[in-house]
Parts: sequence; C-alpha cells; structure tokens
Amino acid sequence: MAHVGPRVDYLAGFCCPPGGLAAGKPRVLCHDSHIYLSNGSEFLYVYDQEGKVLKAVYRCPDQVWHMELLPQPRQLYILCAHSGIYCVSLEQQSRLMEQTDGDGQEGNCPSGVLPVDSDACIFPDSSLCMFTLLNSFVITLSQAHGKWWMKLHELQGPEQESPLYRQVSEVGFCPGPPPGDEGDGPPSHFLPVLCCASSPGTLGSGEGLWCSGGFVLEEPLFSLLFGIDAAMLESPMILCGFPDGQLFSVPLKALSSSPPVDGCHDVSNQDPPVKILHHLEEPIVFIGALRTERRAAEDAEDEQLFGDAGCDCVVAVGHYGKMVAVKADQREEATVPELREYCLRGPILCAACGSGSRMYYSTHSDISAVDLDWVGDSSDPEDAESSTGVLPPVLSPASLSICSVVALSLSSRASEGESELLALSAKGRLMSCGLCSPEEPDVELTPAEIGRRIKELLSGIGNTSERVSFLKKAVDQKNRALASLNQVMNLSAALLSSQEGQKPIACTVTANWSCLLLRDTVTISCLLENCSEYSLEEGWTLCVQLLASPCALEEESADAATTFTFPIEQLLPGNKRELTLPLGSAADAKLDLPLTISCALYYSLRDILGSGSDSSEALDDFLPDDSPLLSPDREGICLPLSECTIDMLQCLRLESSSPGTDPSPLAPAPPDPVETFLKVSREQTEPKGGKDGEQLPPPGEGNLPPSAASIRVSSELLKTALQISDSEVPLSCATLRWLLAENAGAEALSSGTVTSVRGAAPDGGEVQLLVREVSMNDLSPTGPIQAVEILVESPSLADVSRMHHAVIRRIQALVLEQAAQGSGAPDLRMQCLRQIQANHEALLKEAQTLREQSPHGEEGAAMAEKLLWIYQQLRNPNLVLL
Amino acid sequence: MMMRGLPATLPTLPLELTVLYNSLLFTMEASDSAMEGQEGICQGLLRVLEACGACGQDLSSEELWQKVLQEVTVAELQAPLHQLGALQAAWWLSTGHLGSVTGLLRLLSNAEDLGKAHWSKVENELLSLLKAWRVPAEGDSLPLVQSTRDLKEILCTSAAFLQGLQEFEAGNFPTARSLLQEAAGGFCTRKVLAQIYTCLGCCAQRMGKPQTALQHLKQALQVDFQCLPALSHVAAVYHELGETDVELQALALLYEALEEKPPAAASSSPYFLIRTELLVHTPVLDSLLRHRHPSEVKYLLAQRCLQHGRVADTVEHYLDFLALLQEGLQQQVALDVSSAVPRIPEVFLEAASALEQAERYQDAITVCEEVISRTTGLIPRVLLLEERLGQPECPPPQAGLAGGLLAQKKESLSCLAWRAAGYLHQGWMRGKLGEVKEAVTQFSRCLRELLQVQLYGPGVEPTENLLPEVEVLQKIRLLALIGRGTQFLELGNHKKALLDFQHGLQVSPGDPAAASYLVQALWNLDRKQEAAAQWQKLSQRLPKEDGQQEGQGRPVPLYLVSCLKQAVFPHSDDLARSIQNYLGSTTQDSSS
Repeated sequence: MAHVGPRVDYLAGFCCPPGGLAAGKPRVLCHDSHIYLSNGSEFLYVYDQEGKVLKAVYRCPDQVWHMELLPQPRQLYILCAHSGIYCVSLEQQSRLMEQTDGDGQEGNCPSGVLPVDSDACIFPDSSLCMFTLLNSFVITLSQAHGKWWMKLHELQGPEQESPLYRQVSEVGFCPGPPPGDEGDGPPSHFLPVLCCASSPGTLGSGEGLWCSGGFVLEEPLFSLLFGIDAAMLESPMILCGFPDGQLFSVPLKALSSSPPVDGCHDVSNQDPPVKILHHLEEPIVFIGALRTERRAAEDAEDEQLFGDAGCDCVVAVGHYGKMVAVKADQREEATVPELREYCLRGPILCAACGSGSRMYYSTHSDISAVDLDWVGDSSDPEDAESSTGVLPPVLSPASLSICSVVALSLSSRASEGESELLALSAKGRLMSCGLCSPEEPDVELTPAEIGRRIKELLSGIGNTSERVSFLKKAVDQKNRALASLNQVMNLSAALLSSQEGQKPIACTVTANWSCLLLRDTVTISCLLENCSEYSLEEGWTLCVQLLASPCALEEESADAATTFTFPIEQLLPGNKRELTLPLGSAADAKLDLPLTISCALYYSLRDILGSGSDSSEALDDFLPDDSPLLSPDREGICLPLSECTIDMLQCLRLESSSPGTDPSPLAPAPPDPVETFLKVSREQTEPKGGKDGEQLPPPGEGNLPPSAASIRVSSELLKTALQISDSEVPLSCATLRWLLAENAGAEALSSGTVTSVRGAAPDGGEVQLLVREVSMNDLSPTGPIQAVEILVESPSLADVSRMHHAVIRRIQALVLEQAAQGSGAPDLRMQCLRQIQANHEALLKEAQTLREQSPHGEEGAAMAEKLLWIYQQLRNPNLVLL
Repeated sequence: MMMRGLPATLPTLPLELTVLYNSLLFTMEASDSAMEGQEGICQGLLRVLEACGACGQDLSSEELWQKVLQEVTVAELQAPLHQLGALQAAWWLSTGHLGSVTGLLRLLSNAEDLGKAHWSKVENELLSLLKAWRVPAEGDSLPLVQSTRDLKEILCTSAAFLQGLQEFEAGNFPTARSLLQEAAGGFCTRKVLAQIYTCLGCCAQRMGKPQTALQHLKQALQVDFQCLPALSHVAAVYHELGETDVELQALALLYEALEEKPPAAASSSPYFLIRTELLVHTPVLDSLLRHRHPSEVKYLLAQRCLQHGRVADTVEHYLDFLALLQEGLQQQVALDVSSAVPRIPEVFLEAASALEQAERYQDAITVCEEVISRTTGLIPRVLLLEERLGQPECPPPQAGLAGGLLAQKKESLSCLAWRAAGYLHQGWMRGKLGEVKEAVTQFSRCLRELLQVQLYGPGVEPTENLLPEVEVLQKIRLLALIGRGTQFLELGNHKKALLDFQHGLQVSPGDPAAASYLVQALWNLDRKQEAAAQWQKLSQRLPKEDGQQEGQGRPVPLYLVSCLKQAVFPHSDDLARSIQNYLGSTTQDSSS
C-alpha cells in the first residue's frame, strides 16, 4: 500500500492534565470552518480554522463526556458527567461576540470563559452515558437498574413551552456486565458508542438528515444487517457498541420493548427490534462505515441522483485492536453479509472514517490508515479459493507518523478535494493532517507550503536530536561500565596471580603516636602502595578491619571487629596513599592490643550500574561492624591485601630519649577496668595477704608494687638469630633494639648502649622494659649458660601482660625460625628442668582448678588473688630459651 | 442520617428511631436507594442493641430482628420498633421476601401476646398476621410522615395483591382470585384498584368465565378509565366470545384513548410516600398491564376487519396503519415478540389483500411491488433446504448476524414467500383487470422464484414435518399454478392450463380447486371421458375431505386468504351439471 503522505499543521494547544489526555472522552467536531473541541475536562473550545483563532471557551459544570453539534439551528449538545445534557446555542454566542467586537474591547480573542449554567441543562439525568442526535431527535443511552436504556426524545421547537423535549419511546436491554465491573479494578472508563445508520430511502437523507458520525448504508447491506422490517419501515438504526464488546442495532422506528416476562433478558434472547450484530469481546471505541467499492464511471449518474450517500461496509473497532467489518457479499448462491474480523495493533484510542475506503485509527504510537478496498482477483485461478469474499483477507496499515492522538475527526472541508484529518493529541495539541490521495500527483509547492515543510523538518530534527542525545547518554554509560569492569578484572587478576610473592598492591600498617585534638593517641597508618601497572580508579574502596586478637584479656571481646572504609579516588601505578586511623579514641573500650588488622580492596558492582553517587555511605551500610570482611551478601568484588598484628611493642611510647620530659602529656587514661578490679580486690584481700607476703612485696600506701614478668633466652640463640658478633654492641642492647625495631620512636636506641627503656602504653600506663645478661648455673652440667633476661615491669598488670605477650610473640617467631635451621641444643641438667616443669605444671593445674570454680564473694576475691599470684609465678619462669 | 458518634441511650432512642422512620420513608420512596433503606433499618436495630448492651454485628437482618424483639422489652421502645417493623415489612414485600415478612410479623405479634391459634389453616397466614397486628396508636408517638396504621393497610393490600399474582403465575386461579378480591377490598389508590380489577378479570378469563371477566374489567375501567390495559383485555374477551362488533368497538375506543395523550394523573386520593405501586412490581403484573401501542391497536383493528370481511373498514385501517409506518420517528411501531404486529412485509401483503377486496387493484399492485423490490437481493439464487431442518424447533443460539444458520435460512424462506406472494397477488389482480398476459407473466415469475428452493433429505413424503415456511411456499405454488391455469383457460390455451392444474395436483394432491379446474380443462379439451372419471373421483372424495382439510393443516397466512378465495372453482355447479348430463348420456348410450 502506498504510503500516505501526511502534512501536519499544528493549529492550537489546549490545556491538558499532567498525565496527558485519556482517550475516550475527548472529541473533535468540525463544521464549516469551526472546530469544536472537548478534551475531557469541563472546558469546551470553539476554534476558527480559517482565522486560526480560538473563538470561544465554554466551561461546563462537570467533565464533558460527549458533544454533538446540530447545525440547524446551530446548537451544541454537551453531555456532562453525572449531570446530563446541556444545550448551548452557538448563534446566541456569536451575537454576543459581535457585540463585544463592536465595543472594540477584545479584538479577536474570546471574551473570557462562557459558563454553561444549569439553565442550559435540557436532560437532567445523572445516569446518562451517551447520546446522539438525529435531526430533532435525541437518542440517549443511560444505565439504571442494571440495564441499559435507550430512549428516543423529540426536541420541541423553541416556541413550545416548558418541556424542551418529549420522550417518544424507550427500550431496555441488558448486555453482559461491562468488563470493568466484575470487581477487579475501577469501573470501566469506556463509554458506549452510538452511531446512526440510515437506509438510502429515508426521506431527505441527502441534506436534511444530520447526525454527526452517522452514515447512510446501501442496500442490500442495510436489509441484510438490520432485517427487512427495518428496511421497509425505513427506520434509521442506532448502532450501539458497549464496553463489553457487544454491538447492537436498534431500529429507531420500533424502539419499544415489551415488558420482559422473566426479568432481565438474556443477551442471546433479545427482543427482535434489539438485535445483536456481533460480539467483539473488547470495549468498542468506534463504529463507522466506509465506501469500499468505487463506483464505475457509468454509475456517475447514479451518484448524481443519490448524492454521495451510501456506504457499503460497516466497521466496528475494539480498544485492543480487534476490528470487524461487514459487507454484503453477492455470491452465486446467496447474498450474505460477509463478516470479517481483523487484528490491528492496539490499544486503539480513537478512529475515524472518511467518505472513502480508508479508516484511520490512532494508537499511542501512531495513526494508521487501513484500506478496505479490495478487489478479489477472481480472474486468477490460484487465488480464487483463498480470496473468496469481498473484504481483504488482511489489512496493511499505513503509518501517518503522528503519535498519541486521542481524538480524530475527518474535516468536512473536503470540498477542496483533499480530506483533512483533525487530531487532538494527548498533550492537548490540535493538529490538522492533510491526506493526499495516493494517486494525486505531486503539485508544485507554494512558498507557504515550503515554509511549512521546513518547519516540519526542523521540528522533526529537534525530535531526532533529542532522541540521539538520550541514546548517546545510555551508550556512554554502558561504555564506562565496561571500562570499569575491565579495570577491575585486570586488578583482580594481578592480585590473585601473585599470591605467593610480593603483591602488586601492598598495604603496610604501622602504629604511631600522634597528637589528635590535643591528645596523644596511637594511630594506625596504612600505606597503600600501587606497584601494579594498573591504576586504582574510582569505585575502589580500601577496607581496614581491626580485629582484637582472641588472646586478648577480655574473652568476650574476642570477636569484636571494626571496619573502616576509605573510598579511593584514584591511585595511579607507582603512587602511594597513606591513610591514618586513630586507635585510642575510636575504639577505646573495644580495641585491645594486640590487634589484627586486615586490609582489603573492595569494588561495588553497583557502581558500575551508574547509581553510585553516594557509594561510601552505601558501603557503610553494606559493611556493618562485626561482619566478616568477605561475605556473600555484598554485591561486589573483594580482594584481600594483607594482614598484620599490632602489639604493645609497636605502640609503646618511649621516653628514654628525654627523661626530663614532663610526663603530663600522658594524660590520665581511663583506668583499665581489669586494673581497677584488681586494685579493689587487692584492697579487700589485704588483711589476708600475709601468707603470700613472700612473693608479693608489701605494697606501699597507694603505690602498687610493679608487676613483673621475665623471659630468659640463651645468648647463643639470640646471637645466631640476630646475627650479631661480640665486638659490636652488647647483646642486651642489641636485643632491645631488635624488640623495638618496629617501634616508630626507637631510632634513639641505635645511638647508645641502652639496655632499658621506659615508655607509655596506649592507655597511658608506664611500662619498663629491661634487658640484662645473666648466667644460669644450675641448668647445664657443662657449666653456666649465658642468657639474656628480658624483664617487663609495670604498675599495670594488664600492660605487663600485653608487653609480655608481645615479647613472647617475637621470641616465639625467632625460636621457630631457629628450630627450622636445626641447631643442636646444649647439654642440660634434665632434673632441674623437670623440676621447673613440674612446678609450672602444678601451678597451671592449680590455676585451672581455680578458674573452674565460680568465684563468690570474699572467697572469690581470695581466689582471684591467688590466681593472680599463680599467673605471676608463671610469668617468671626460671627457664631459659636455648 | 444516623446519629453516629454519640452512644445510644435508652431515653433518646425513641426519638432517634422515629427520626429514622421518617427519613427512611423518604429514602424508600426514591426507589433507587431502596438498598439504603435496608441498611438504615439494620443500623437502627444495632443502635437499639447497643443501648441495651447487646451486640448484633454480623447478623442477617432477619436474625437481627429476632434478637431485638426477643431481648429488648423496654416499653418505650415498642412503638418505634413496630414502626421500623412496618418499614421492614414493606421493604421485604417489595423485594419479594414474603417468608421474611411472615417471620417478622410472628415476632411482632408474639411481643403483643397474641394467641397463635385463632387463624384457620385455610386463611393465609401472612394476611391474618397483618390484620391481627396491633399497631401502636399514633397519638402515643412523635409526629410521623406516614402513620404506621396507613402503612399497615398498604402492607395488607400489597401482600394480598402480591400473593394473588404469585398464585396467578402458578396457575392456581381460584386461590389467586380470592386473594385478589381480598386486595381489592383493601386500602389503595384508584389506579391500583383498577389494576387489581384488571388482574381479577384476567383471572376469570383464564378460569373460563368470560362474563365475570368482563364485569371485573368493567369495574376496572369504572374506577380508573386510564387503565387502558383493561380495555385491551375487554377486546380480547370479546374476541374470545366471537363478538366481533363489540371487539372492534373496544379496539377503536382503545385506539382513540391511546391517541390522545393521557393527562397527568391527578389523583384525588391522599398521597402516601409508600404506596402499593412501590411494593408490587412483578413481571406478571407488567405483562398483564402491558400497554398496547397505538400502532398495534390500529393493526389489530385492520386485521380483525380483514378477517371478518368488512371491506370498507379494512382498507381504511390498513391505509391508516401504512401511513403510520411512513410517518416520522414520533410514531413508533411495536415490533417485539409480544406485539400483535406481524412482520412488515406481511402487513404490506395484507394491505394489498384489503385493497384487492375493495377493488383498488392498481393500489394493491403498487403495494405488492414494494414488497417485491424490498426483497430483491435478499434471496439466494438457490436455497438448499434439508427437509427436517425445522423439526427440532431449536431456537437459534444467537439471533445475530453470524449466529443461526437455520434462522438465516428461515428468514430467507420468509423473504421468498413474501416475494412470491407479491407476484401471486399481482397475477390475480392483473387477471381481475383483464390483463391476461401480464397476469401470466406474474404467475410465472412467482413460480420461477419458488423453483429456487430445493428440498432434500431422507423423508420425501411427510408433509406434516415440513417447516411452516415450506408449507406456505407449497400453498403459494399451488395458487400460482391454479392462477396461471385459469389465465390460460381465459386465453383458450387449454393444454397449458391442463398442465398447470396437473402440476398443482402434484404439489397438493387432492386439492379440490385444482381438481375441479382439471376437470374443467379436460372438459374443455373435449376429453370428456377423463373429465368424468376425475369428477367422480373428486365428488367421492369431497364430502369426507372437507372436514379433514379444515382441521388438519396449519392456518394459511392472512395475506393468502384472498387468493385462496379466488382460487375456488367458481363454476362447479355448471360443470357438475354438464358432466352429469354427459354421464347420463353415456350411460344411456352404453345401456342402449
């Protein structure tokens, strides 16, 4: 089918609700050069197409559902929702307009909004759903008592007194329930569709008959469709399409029904006057008629006789795209109405028929034209079987490229030779669309037309560029996502492949003292170093998890972990970034030395999808405290970097370099709860303390005796392990340096021969570390063993423990390393060793039994003291690590 | 309407219920919101229970009444509760819940300590209960829009009327009659009384008492002359009685009354909010009180006149009716099932018959032409018909376009019959006008049309099983053959005439007219021997067949009656005489 070349003019814009106009209620009528338009609101507009001005605006009391025009006398009939039909005389209005023009006040603008008041209401009936006009008759359709009622009223002339109309007859019938009324969802917003069909014989069908949307049907289709009775009565027929899809025909001349004998009539059992023509099974939105067969040239005289009357095909269109066409098929054996259903692409918002064989229908995306003209190629023997019938087997819609039109009307200005489609778009714009007939040759364009075409082209370009920019944006976003993914994959591969050796991205953790908010605290600094060849881009996050060691003093805090996240803006290859996080202040109560610190890189996959503007906040939600770093519920990629432990030795703040420094910067730290407990318990147990006075030096008033712990390591072992020769610094000094190697403030030690340091623990307690050389005489039969004793002293038992733990950890690592090298042990006096071991075992056993008993009251306190003593004994073994 | 928000208290409840009663009276009058009325009553009852500290949620209205009337014994509340009860009874009556009304009244009467025993089994319980129900006196209560006493009276009438109609529908005419008589004795408007009398009339008519029926219908019209259904029933009764003159008078009167627009019913009786009309509306009543359409009455007049051979009146009425059809939309035509008006082509053909009888042949031909032209294009060239097609008389599943192949075929058959009948009439009338050749042409056209039907099927013989449409077609064919034959006789073409009569006898074996004409044709052809033999056969058959033919066949459509009359052999006596003479002479010849 030839593409119909439309020419679109925007005539005017009308206000529309935010969501756009809904289909069904808006309506466009055209008569002479005036366009009457209702957009479903309570306003009604009259637009002069020639003058291109809005002539009048009417404001109705309620939403306008339907509108019909009576040309003689010029009257508008308006159906308002839930109130009835109003009648507005247009002649009166134009007279009003002239008056204002005469006053010279307004020019050609409408003089405000003309209200349609209740005086104009000629049918006050709230149940009215639809109406149509036929000359001086008004046909109304209302819903009451679960039935539809079609009523025929005759309008009385203006000279008649009060009742403006007289009800002539009525018929009640009930089609099935409307689809929307079956409980699901809001009631159907579809209104029934009424349409008047008359037979060619009807008196004065030429010009006297007026019915907008009505048509004259040719014989024999009229008789075939509506029966011979209606044809012989020459009765106009009302075609009525219901929201449930039923298409009825009612003869206006016989619009009466006998009272039903069994209540409501069944659909299948309608009274003969009311005839069901078809069931479309979806809301009917349009009924119209077409002239599908062009008259042959010799019939032109007939045309002169009958005027342009006579459609030969009736169509009804459903909302979801079903369409039915009926045409008389004069076959060999019988003349039958051929009925054919088509499927168009729905949802169909509105449709219109012209005088030709084309029907126009509008969906959300386009207006399409379908042509029902079809010449069955019976000359072709092959097609003869498939192409029986007078209607085309399939329809091929031709696009007009106008989208979301909610009301269509064919202009009656067709006298100029070309028909014109008036369309109201969902955005309230009134357009006229010239429909060049396909067979018309292209005419020379006038300058005005060229201008218009340029305008169309420009607006088309505007539309296209808008769309292009939108698409471009989408493509860019996808590209970016892909690039990010690629980079993430590269990094992950690099990190995962180098598991054994040096990782290309390293995170080094050190502990420092720094002054934050006038307070010295221990901070942990993480140095993230990118040695890979890829840069860390935005989207990566460094997660640092602090986990108190399970061997910390408080058992219940074993699982306590805190995670810090640092979004990384960008880290180019070879660059470093240092991040600091305070230890003292941030997690005072929770964190206790030693701390295990795990670092990992995390990449949220959500960021790839573009909505990662507030990713850090989102990530904090993602990674709640206490959750393990890697968990499946995180939508992202997590790459572990390193894990290290921070202990007392690293955190100790040395004061040896400046002994005179006022210790006041060591602000009184919050008292260690363990210490407080011990202090209190010790005070309580003081009277009984005499027995153990031997081990516990008598405490001075308010000055607790320093707790102590000692470790002895054989000099040989240390020497080999630390690889130091006798000539250099003394062994004790070297040992101290080794111990404090990771301490940031330990540079001072390297200068002199320092064998003892004092320092402050993170919590402020004082700790002394003393290294001396001792010789152990009774251990080895071969003579005294030279050893190094590391002595830890602090008034705080907790600090002693922490320091002890830290020292032991290092020596353990050292011993393990040495053991791996397999150096032989010197001769030892086994009995002595055994004795020491037995002592220790006894002490351990005692400690275990004490711990198993649950302490209560004083007994408990005593027990605690005893435990303390035992632990102190255990911490001072006379053993030496060889 | 209800006092919501405030807790119900006993002292204010009587006032509250009275206000409710008054407002519900208005609500229920507007029939659309009748459902609200039920809700309002239930709300009122719930308030009563609330005041008494009981709970009545989730109970049906019947259960609610039971609970309220059994548990609430406060004396001040009795009068308002009875008022509400009256409303409830009215509501249930209007929705046809007669059982619920009875139950409610039992409860209300028990509360009044009325003995159960004193109504007989024969009497209707509902009516007895209603009558025995002691309604609180009006003076005791607050002002009411419609007094409970009035309401009770209306309830009595409505209950009797409703039950009467139910019995009528069930076919229990004697019971229906006594109930309706009860209703007629009750309290109601003239309009309703007239309706009741009409129903009584119909009841009597069904019981086979036409005189009583006429009396009741007369009463109805005396009470309210606007009760036009009564008048149409009168006509029907007279029709039954065979009194055509009076029937036609009644119909004419009815038509006149229908033509002039009825004045607004200014009822002299007191206006009540709740009236019997509001409570009694059943399909039976609607069909009994169906208003005839003026067009329908006009047609009935015409049809009766035609049936009874009142030539002058017939033509007048038919022409009136046709004019009525041609008028604008103001004049509506009743075409529905229950209407007396047949299919429009038949009306046209009947009108043609009437005109023919009035010897207005040209007009009749024109009318027939209309039928012929209208049916052009509607009849298939060949109409295949299975003979037993119509046997199961199954209703077409869908009267629509697509539905009902059978319905479509039947419609085609009807069209064919009308078209053929049009030609048939034209043929006869051309004959009357002396245009013999024209007449032969029309008859031939008629016969050609009829050739389009092809019967096939297993059964060939049985004529009883034929579709009525097919039977009519056969009749038309016979009449056309006889008609053409007579025209051939006129032309002196006796052979062709003989052929037609023979065909006619094939179509309808033993048809006396065709047989007689056959004899005549044979006689004219000078085949006297055969003619005499046929004649003897015919005269032997005639006496006994006469009775049979009348009773057996379906009645011929009215539009064919005139043709039938014309087809009757006119010169049977002459022919009989000649044949007798011939026979006598031959016997003499043979004996001598």
